[in-house]
Amino acid sequence: MQIPVHFYSYFKDLTGCEQTSETVVEGSTLAELLKKLFQRFPKLAAMERSMLVAVGVDYQSRDYILKDGDEVSLFPPVQGG
Amino acid sequence: MKRQLTITSDPIDEAALLRERSISNGMGAVIYFLGVVRGTEGETNISAIEYEAFQKMVEHQFYLLFDAMEKRWPIESVRLVHRVGVVKVNEPSLWVEVVAPHRGEAFAACQWLIDEMKRVVPIWKKPIFR
Repeated sequence: MQIPVHFYSYFKDLTGCEQTSETVVEGSTLAELLKKLFQRFPKLAAMERSMLVAVGVDYQSRDYILKDGDEVSLFPPVQGG
Repeated sequence: MKRQLTITSDPIDEAALLRERSISNGMGAVIYFLGVVRGTEGETNISAIEYEAFQKMVEHQFYLLFDAMEKRWPIESVRLVHRVGVVKVNEPSLWVEVVAPHRGEAFAACQWLIDEMKRVVPIWKKPIFR
């Protein structure tokens, strides 16, 4: 299945794009998706520890199992206010 | 609990927000917080900050915070305005109003809301240097 992935803040600079998509097999976790993305975007891999991950509009843990139709967003720690 | 959330690229009109205040007879405390852009980032002077937001998630996360506030404190209402786009130094980027029966819960809820906002609401800053 194709999972759209959106980047925010300086992650757009690290990847050179605002969004991409990644193909993963049914039952893949977010961790598996990230592993594939880090191969394509090595500069993003350096941010893995502090990276926040959302599916739709909710935060999810790395063991979240992706479903067809999910949209993933990756971004650095937030800075509102 | 009444809640009002505004995400806007327009300057915050504090006078208009105050005119629109609505509180019931049982309320004794109204807390306001204004977040203002500072003129320095570390030791470097800046002229403005550019705020970026993942808008749909901002709204969702703020409403989750409002839900949590309502469960935890007897708050009558919360109104919050956060700017996006370029905000100049000394201009407010954040305006918060919390109305409650007593100052204890109003102060506590307001502080908690801002602390949590800074942890979970997907807004980012990019300094614009002089």
